[in-house]
Amino acid sequence: MRTMDIVTQGLKKRYAAEKRFRMLGLAAIIASMLFLGLLFVSIISNGYTAFWQTFIRLEVYFDPEMLPWDALETADYPGLVKKTLRTMFPDAQGRKDKRMLYKLASTGASFQLRDMVLKNPKLVGQQAEVWVPADDDVDMLIKGHFDRNLPESERRLNDKQLAWIDSLAENDAIQKKFNTTFFTAGDSREPELAGIRGAAMGSFYTLVITLVLSFPIGVAAAVYLEEFAPRNRWTDLIEVNINNLAAVPSIVFGLLGLAVFLNFFGLPRSAPLVGGLVLTLMTLPTIIIASRAALLSVPPSIREAALGVGASKMQVVAHHVLPLALPGMLTGTIIGMARALGESAPLLMIGMVAFIVDIPGGFTDPATALPVQIYLWVDSPERAFVERTSAAVMVLLGFLIAMNATAVILRKKFERRW
Amino acid sequence: MRTSVFEEKLDAQAKDDRVKKLEAQPAKNLVSRDKRQTVGEINVDDPRMTCRNVNVYYSDKHAIKDVSLDIGRNEVIAMIGPSGCGKSTFLRCLNRMNDTIDICRVTGEIKLDEMDIYDKDIDVVPLRVQVGMVFQKPNPFPKSIYDNIAYGPRIHGLAQSKAEMDHIVETSLKRTGLWDEVHDRMDQPGTGLSGGQQQRLCIARTIAVNPEVILMDEPCSALDPIATAVIEDLIRELRKQYTIAIVTHSMTQAARVSQRTAYFHLGDLIEVGATEQIFTRPRHQLTEDYITGRFG
Repeated sequence: MRTMDIVTQGLKKRYAAEKRFRMLGLAAIIASMLFLGLLFVSIISNGYTAFWQTFIRLEVYFDPEMLPWDALETADYPGLVKKTLRTMFPDAQGRKDKRMLYKLASTGASFQLRDMVLKNPKLVGQQAEVWVPADDDVDMLIKGHFDRNLPESERRLNDKQLAWIDSLAENDAIQKKFNTTFFTAGDSREPELAGIRGAAMGSFYTLVITLVLSFPIGVAAAVYLEEFAPRNRWTDLIEVNINNLAAVPSIVFGLLGLAVFLNFFGLPRSAPLVGGLVLTLMTLPTIIIASRAALLSVPPSIREAALGVGASKMQVVAHHVLPLALPGMLTGTIIGMARALGESAPLLMIGMVAFIVDIPGGFTDPATALPVQIYLWVDSPERAFVERTSAAVMVLLGFLIAMNATAVILRKKFERRW
Repeated sequence: MRTSVFEEKLDAQAKDDRVKKLEAQPAKNLVSRDKRQTVGEINVDDPRMTCRNVNVYYSDKHAIKDVSLDIGRNEVIAMIGPSGCGKSTFLRCLNRMNDTIDICRVTGEIKLDEMDIYDKDIDVVPLRVQVGMVFQKPNPFPKSIYDNIAYGPRIHGLAQSKAEMDHIVETSLKRTGLWDEVHDRMDQPGTGLSGGQQQRLCIARTIAVNPEVILMDEPCSALDPIATAVIEDLIRELRKQYTIAIVTHSMTQAARVSQRTAYFHLGDLIEVGATEQIFTRPRHQLTEDYITGRFG
């Protein structure tokens, strides 16, 4: 029984070590979940208020004298807004007071009125209630980000403005509504008029190019390297280089894009086309490495069986190996795409880090990307941009979660059990 | 899949007679162990495949040493020998499966019906249609049972319509005795069958493309005795239409299914001859050592 005695003696220590290891693992998981939770809580708590925007109800009289029939497009709409405000608050006298009053409504109000009149010229001569976005300072006050009790010199809104806002509130003329502008507008200097649509469309076009280029090229390269290439020094060199490229800092690809795509080929600057090309270069190594691993995981018995029935090399790869390697390839691709979605450094050199107001309509229009938009807003001084930055981060995280969830679902769908 | 009971009885009777005749002969002197020239008749009348001076090298390792052998029409030839003697390597030369191994080099002449299969103008794809292979571990495609059989005919364009393809699939499955067992679940994955059924599926897949020669590399070594018996019956049945070369490490299996047997030893073809003669009156000492269980 000597062996059993020795074994039993050592058991206690072994189990204790295993328990310690399990506890470590559990602690690691809990720590990472905690940090993840912290991340989400801080972002969401900062950003959820951005989905509401304060609106002011203006009682607008579309004065025919200010809006002549033959010059509706070039009429003085800002003046119309100012007149409306003066009418609503007759107690504003003197230039300083009036300037304070005009600051309550957003500068976008005049464009809103212009769009209304041009769409429906019959409005001229009529009175109407129009909800216009409030200026971002008012918005911040209503959302509680500005302390009313600070002394006047330290506040962005003075006492008179506060009084006007309070009277608007008493008349239910100031309300928070869902901030659709955030999703429909492009970038703007004014926070209340700023949206992520431009950046989102730019990211979309860029990722389309990246996907369309990197998936076929990556898969084909992996198939060639794994199935058809001879094993010699050159292919070893290629493999080492691909592995290294996967670890190259992404800004280097931006420099390459500047030198080759912009300077040599003369492609349009700031275009999603160029951004997509640069991100393709960045994602290719990831896709190639993941695809090669997927191809290696296909058992050689399947290849032999197919060869034995008289399939050619190409048919073995296309009919048998690729379908079985597809889950791994898809996972690698979507992980690569998710990384590309969140990159801003490579886009720096090719001009996609810029203040671009228009929403891109195609692959050659100037555009920016979501992570770039976040970076630009972080730099802005207005308080309202803080919540919008967090909201944009939430949107970006939402896309990333959706992409990774798709990867998991696709992988499960295509998985074959042996 | 059995021949009629009457035929079996006749066969067994004839075999018994032949064995008795052989054992009645006095024991001849056996060729000594250090002689590695092939003993026995390598030629047959009207061979399906002929091999002359075949050498196979894996980098520097000389795996098959100057082997010459004929494979007769509609016969089952068994290749036996201890592990690592090169019988699987030799078998794989016959349909050029060794081409897939980079370090493998084959010299010599192997002819299928007067056509040198290692000629540089030969396309291996049609060769492998004519010379099919069944592997040691059953390897059905991870597709449906129907698609497993239909894949070969489909890529070679052997069926002009769905009805023709259905016919090919049904015929192949019937010949391997699987039809009754799987005809109602043709769209289920082939990998869901039992081991013996999978191997019969692989055999059905091989005969679906209408080969002339079927190579079998230890087809029953991963199967239980009952599945093995079914496959051995199948081999005896298939012999009527195809030429079969089977590698086996079971001497009793070789004795049961084959007409000729070739004994390999460390890359040399030591002896070849009629199965009964090899197992009752071997002419080489190494053959005698092997079949009496000295090694292997």
